[in-house]
Order: sequence, then structure tokens, then C-alpha cells
Amino acid sequence: MSKETFLEVRGLKKYFEAGRPALFSRDVRHICAVDGVDFRLRRSEVIALVGESGCGKSTLALLLMGLEDPTEGMVSFEGRDITHLNDHQRKDLRRKIQMVFQDPYESLNPTQTIEEIVTEPLLVHGIAPNKSERDEKVKKALEDAGLKPAEVYLGRYPHELSGGQRQRVVIAAALVLEPEIILADEPVSMLDVSIRAEVINLLAELRITRQIAVIFITHDLGSVGFFADRVAVMYLGRIVEIGTMLEVLENPQHPYTKALISVIPVPNPRLRRERIILQGETPNPINIPSGCRFHPRCPVAIEACKASDPPMATLSKTHQAACLLLVK
Amino acid sequence: MQTTIQTSEPSNQVTARLLGFWRTFRKNRGGIVGLWMLVFIILVAIFAPLIAPYDESSSAQTSISDIYQPPSANHWFGTDDAGQDVFSNFIYGARVSLTVGFFAAFISIVIGGLFGLVAGFFGGRWETFLMRFTDIMLVIPDLPLMVVIVALTKPSLLNIIFVIGLLGWTTTARVVRSQTLAVKSRKFVLRARAIGAGKGHIVSRHILPLVMPILVVQAVLVISLAILNESALSFIGLGDPTTLSWGQMLNYAFGRGAMSTGAWWALVVPGFGIVWVVLSLTLLGQGLEQVLNPRLDTHHLMPAKPTVRKEAGEQPAGKGSLLDVQNLSIDYVTEGKARAHAVENVSFTLKEGELLGLVGESGCGKTTLMLALLKLLPAAGQIVNGRVYFKGQDLTELGEDELNKVRWSGVSIVFQGAMNALNPVRTVGDQIEEAIIKHLPDFPKANLSARVTELLDLVGIAADHKDHFPHQYSGGMRQRAMIAMALACNPQVIIADEPTTALDVMIQAQILELLDSLRKKLGLAIVFVTHDLGVVAEMCDKVLVMYGGVTAEYAGVDVIYNDPRHPYTQELLKAFPDLTKPKKKLSSIPGYPPRLDALPSGCRFAPRCPAAFDRCKTEQPALHRVGANGHIASCHLIEASK
Repeated sequence: MSKETFLEVRGLKKYFEAGRPALFSRDVRHICAVDGVDFRLRRSEVIALVGESGCGKSTLALLLMGLEDPTEGMVSFEGRDITHLNDHQRKDLRRKIQMVFQDPYESLNPTQTIEEIVTEPLLVHGIAPNKSERDEKVKKALEDAGLKPAEVYLGRYPHELSGGQRQRVVIAAALVLEPEIILADEPVSMLDVSIRAEVINLLAELRITRQIAVIFITHDLGSVGFFADRVAVMYLGRIVEIGTMLEVLENPQHPYTKALISVIPVPNPRLRRERIILQGETPNPINIPSGCRFHPRCPVAIEACKASDPPMATLSKTHQAACLLLVK
Repeated sequence: MQTTIQTSEPSNQVTARLLGFWRTFRKNRGGIVGLWMLVFIILVAIFAPLIAPYDESSSAQTSISDIYQPPSANHWFGTDDAGQDVFSNFIYGARVSLTVGFFAAFISIVIGGLFGLVAGFFGGRWETFLMRFTDIMLVIPDLPLMVVIVALTKPSLLNIIFVIGLLGWTTTARVVRSQTLAVKSRKFVLRARAIGAGKGHIVSRHILPLVMPILVVQAVLVISLAILNESALSFIGLGDPTTLSWGQMLNYAFGRGAMSTGAWWALVVPGFGIVWVVLSLTLLGQGLEQVLNPRLDTHHLMPAKPTVRKEAGEQPAGKGSLLDVQNLSIDYVTEGKARAHAVENVSFTLKEGELLGLVGESGCGKTTLMLALLKLLPAAGQIVNGRVYFKGQDLTELGEDELNKVRWSGVSIVFQGAMNALNPVRTVGDQIEEAIIKHLPDFPKANLSARVTELLDLVGIAADHKDHFPHQYSGGMRQRAMIAMALACNPQVIIADEPTTALDVMIQAQILELLDSLRKKLGLAIVFVTHDLGVVAEMCDKVLVMYGGVTAEYAGVDVIYNDPRHPYTQELLKAFPDLTKPKKKLSSIPGYPPRLDALPSGCRFAPRCPAAFDRCKTEQPALHRVGANGHIASCHLIEASK
């Protein structure tokens, strides 16, 4: 096990069957939701996975959580292949990787109290069989998630809390298992602007206080700012550019990243910029375009892009992008 | 909201939940009436020997003259064909009918619940097998089958219970299955899996608690059905001959000449019992359903309450303005609750070709304000003050008919999430045509198709997509189609309520570009309602920032972003990510936006404001002018600095 990397994803693919093109056709069509993803995650690192809907980022999250089985490729955690585990091993692993969902209104059971919600993971894993010990852990998790004092919240129901508080409850229910990775799937997109920062700041704090690595999945490049160490941009099931946050935001190299950054509105009317608006929408992942998957929408595509699938070009030690124009 | 510290005994929580349920249920008149009717008849059945004036087997001492005696002091409801007291039989009959009803329903509910749960949760082969079996059972008519089975077996009470129970579970299975499917797909179930919970845990902790309410309602209805079935069976002579249920009383009276002798009481009394029980169960079931599955009572089908006005309005402002909103205030009036001041004293103007950004967080009243402009408020909404001048005409004074002329052809709205409101079984072109016909009845039919093509072209949809169905459109295209529809009658003002919220950034950019080009091409004035400060900075000329139903700040776009005076605007900007400053740490505003039913007494932002002082907690600030360019902010600090 290398000191640095503790989660590694290699050639990960997930194809879903999408029926047959014709009634008696032999071949089955596939949706290539995730189509060859590689990346590494270091301890207490924050990586942002950015992409539009249909880019496969949510499927990738489910694969990493083991909630879907990959078609190909592998995920290793602390040097161990975790792609194919039995239920028992999987359950153990669940303690280490926890997930925070997009919609805090939907991801809490409305009939459970906050205490029941946060205690549940402990009961499921048989941690802290003694009730007072369990209560202690639950209180600590709630307070670490910023719900202080915990006693005020224990007996309440989700509907009595605001969106931001609910998202904190979800985070507390993840923290109680003392995970090493938190996978956050659009955790703030349903929240009001004024309270988004508090959830992001909370996650940023946890990586310092608890050494938790965060995989932050979002469609909003603007929100990854100061908090992410590295940014990976996904398009049609693949990472097209990956680098440190500053490399990707200030010096994007892939034409898709450039376009994506150009259309993110800047909250300053004096900085209205030229936008690169891509026409059309992300193609259907059933028909991945030949060659470079971005070429039909790419403003700078050349003839060669139609034929060859570009490899990752290394731009710096940390910065790579998959574009033929960058390959020398 | 409870703020007390609770001890966490599970039994306490269950009691608290039941108490909470009872408190809500108590207010449901129908449900309560049903419940008392049911309790009453159950008590009658239990205490039958104490209530009934005669024994069950009192016929031994009767003579011929006792048969079909009309009601008298001795026999309140007369006697039957065997000279027995009808009232006593009625009371004992309740025992039989209720016993059959409850036990048969219990069997049905257990089978139906189990089938539904298994089919819904496990899916796949289990589901196919169980649901096809259910379908077959549903197709077979219950009553004839029951008749056949009971006739072939010994018609004892136990047999009847089982036959009714074993045939009455189909609807329960279907209802439970669909509820299970709905609950299963909810995110908290996925979260439970992510925690590592097994199937058993998920079913017992997450699925069952949410299926239970439906099961309870279903149980009540199944009981009434079972009682009806038992009565029907008994009435056609297939009841247990050793017991006397209400159905059997009817059977005996009917078969033994009660009709011809005019002994109505022998028929009416048991009939009344059946009606009583079924009615009570129906009322109870309906009440439970209303409490357990409440639907919002705010809807837009009824016109909102008429405008009431406290103060006289001013005259419309300068001629250049298309839309002039003055001191508009809107309350939500719900019976039994205090008035909620959703919007208070909001003013703005909109010139031709101008783009106004209306910014605010959820619950700040921005959607209410927009709906009020065209008097499209939900039934509880009421304009309590202010005027809305559209080209000099006060819309708040207009009736429905006159408003309909302004709606769509003067001012049209692209609703939030409207792209999901297209009718899925009709082509998009068809739906746009319908919108034109509805709002412009005189539009020449021959030109309709050309007009639709023109509109679609305007929003960037190729003409060959006209005859496609909404599901063939992507989200962005559906939103374009909605905009085309809003443009159908050449409005001068378009209100766009969060038109890009659910869309990807690239599609959002496309739609924003479209709106901007339409504004230039058609001279449209646009009110853009959003929570996204970036979009506003990029597009708008003027910005109205709302907080808790009031204007926080209103100014030109450059002023709002570079010289904001209201602390809320300042804090909101600090919380919003800026791609050009990737290292900037975002700061959130502590606390949460106020709820309309619990507005703070002073300035509505005071509880979250970093600059609040004593006065802010008691006195709501007035709108203050800052400078000369129509910059307005409601903050005591501005008055102090003048």
C-alpha cells in the first residue's frame, strides 16, 4: 500500500442494458454510463468530480459505494481490491466509505427522529452495543456536524429542521461510523445560497479535524473553489481533464472544460465575459460518438478527432487532459 | 416546534407519535363521527347480554300470536317471524356481523399486505408471480365465487370468515405494492443501503412505517367490505344457521313473509345495522386517509380572494414604464391561523426591453409576488394593498374576464418547472396551437400552423420537431417550447420564474442567451426570478433583492454588486461562489430564512444580521433612498448614515 494513495480507481466501466434496437435484433444496446474512469485519492484529500447530467458522475458514485457492480475495471481501497466483495466484506467496508446525498428532504426517513437516524448505522453494524456508549457517539457526531447542543435535536423529526440542518443530520449519520471517505453527491444543490457555504465549510473542516477524504460530485464548477484540492471534469462517462483546482479553473486545457468554465455566471456585472456556448446537449450515452467523444460539439475539433480516441495528455505532474490538440 | 430536551425512550416516542396523530385526527369531523359510531356499535355488541331485553333463545316461550308484532312497549322494534324480539336479535346480530367483519378483514390484510410488500420490495420473479396471481383473483367476481365455495362447504361461521378473508385481499395487495414501490425508490432507502443495512432492516425500519398508514386505511375499508359480503351471503341463505347475523335476520324476514304482512321493522332494523357499520367505517376510513395522506389545500383552481385595500394608491408613474408595481402587499389567509404576510410593500417598475432580476431565497415571497401580478394567487392568497399598473391600467381592480385579456397577451409567465407540465400524449406543436386558440379566439385557423413554426423558430427549435411529443424533447428543448408558448400572443412582459433551475449549466447558458436575444429582437421586458446571483449579474439591468417578503434592496445591477448597502445583499454576495476568485473562502449567513408564519417582529433580517442593533429587533425599517438613481434599501443603518 502506497503511503499516498488509498483509493484507486482503474478502468472502471458500467454499462446498463438498454434493450434491443429492433424486436428480434440479436445485439443488445448498452448505456455506457461510466466508460473507463481512472483516478486516485489521497488521504484527507478533496477531489471534485464535475460534469453535466448524463456524464456518469452519479453512477460512478454508486460504483464507488458498491451499490452497483461495475462491468469492468477495479476499485482498490487501502491496497485491497474491493470490486467484488461478498455481503459481509461489503458491510465492513461501508463503515469506511459513507455517502451524503443531494436531497436532504428525501434522504431522511420522515418517520424517524434525528436520534433514531443517527443511531441506526451503529445498530446496523453492531457498534457500541452499550446504550450509553452509543448515545455518546451519536451526540459527538451531531455536534461535529454542527448541530449543537445535540440534545435539542435528538427528539426532533426531519420536517422540523431546515434544509441545511437536515444535510447536517445526513452528515452526522455518516460521521458516526467514523468513515475515511465521504462521497458527497451534489450535497448543496438543493439548499439556499445563504446556507450552502455552511455545508461546504463543514466538509472542509472535517477533512482537517477527522482526516476524512471527500469526493465531491457536482455540476457546478463554481462551487468547488477554495475547498477542492483537485478537480476532475467528466464528459460522457469519462474524465476528460484532471488537475489541481487552480490548474483546472485558471488554466483549463480541454475545450469542454474551457466552455464549461466560460458559461458559469460570475457574480459581478463588470466581468461579463465572452461565453463559449456549446450547441445541442450531451449526446445519449447509448451512442457514444466515434473518436473523441466530444468532437461533435467541440468548437476546435479537427478531422482527426472523428477517428481517434485521444489519450490523456500530460500537461504537468498533476494536470492531464484528453484532447488530441494537446498531444505532441 | 419542540425545543424541550427529550428523553429518548422508544416507547415514549411511539406514545408521542400516537398523541400527535390523535390531535390532528380529532379535528377531522367525519372521521370522529365514524369513530364514535363504530365504538358505539362495538360496545353494544360486547355488552349485548346487558342491553338486550330478551335472551338470544327466547323463542321457546313464544306463541303464534307473537309473530310479526308491530313495535310496542314490550318489543321496541316489534317481533320477527319466530316471535323473537327484533331489537334483541339486532343487538346479538351485531356480535356476529362484527366478528366476521374483523376476522375476515384481518386475514385479507395479512395476506394482501404480505403479497404487496414482497412483490413491491423484491420485484423480479416474485413480483411477476404474485401480481399475476392477484390479477387473476381480481378478475374473478368475488361474490359468486364465495357463494359457490360456501355452498360446497359447510356454511359455518368459521368457513365464512375464511372464504371472505381469503378472497378479499386483492385490492390491499395492489395498494400495498404500489406504496412499497414508491417508498423503495426514495433516497432514504438508498441511504440505508449505503450505511450497510440489510433487507430485513430496510423493510422493517424504512418501508413498513411508511406503508402502515395506507394499510390502516385499507383495513378499515376491507372490514366494511367483509361485513357487506357476510350480509350478502347470509341474505341468500348461506349464513351459519346456528348464529343470527344481520344478514340472516334479513334473510329470514324476507323469506318468511315480512314483506307481505307489512312487518317493515323486521327488515329495516337489521338493514339499519348494516348501514350504520358500513357508514361508520367509510367515514372513519375517509378521515384516516385525510389525516394520514394530507394533500395541500392550496391550489390554483379557485380564484384568489378579492383585493382589499387599506390605503389609496398613487397614480401610475412615468409613461415610459410598462409595469409599475406600487406598495404591493399579499397575505395568506388560512382559517384558524394567523394571517401570514407573505409580501409586504414591494414596489418596482419595468420599462420596455428591461430585464429585472428578482432575487431571493426559498420562502422570500418572490413567487407569490409574481403570481399576484396577474392575480393567479392560490385560493388562500389575498392582495391587501398596493397596485399593479400595466400600461396605466390597474390589474388589481380587474375582474377575471378582463384579466384574461391581459394574461398571456400582455403579460405571460413561464412557470417554475413548467417544462414538466407539457401534456405527454399530445405533440408540442399541437399544444402551442391550443394556447394560441385559447387566448386569441379570432386567430385565422389557416395561419395557425405557420405561426407555430414561426414561434418554434424564434426559440431555436427546428420546424421538423413540431410534431414530436414532449418525451422526444430534452429538458432544454421543453423549456424552449414553454417559452415559445409564452410568446404565442405577443406579450410585452414575460415573467420567468426560475426558468433554468433544474437545467445543466450549458443548457442554462443556452436558455439565458435565448431570453436575451428575444428581449433585443422583440423588445420584451423580462422579470427574471431566481436565486442565482451569478445569472442576475450576467443578464439583468436592475435587481430587486427580497428577504422574508419585503424589499431588502432595489437598484441597478452594478450598484447591487459593487456598492450594496443592505447587510443581506452584502452577506449573500459573500456566500456566493465566484469562479474568478477560486481561493475565496465562502461565508454562510448564520441561521435560516424566516418562515412566513413566524416572522420576526422588527427587521426580518435582524436575527441573522451581523450589523443588527437594538432598534432592528423592534422596529421594521422603512424603505430608504440611497443616492439619486432610485437605489432603495430597507435598513436602519442607512437612515443613521444620512
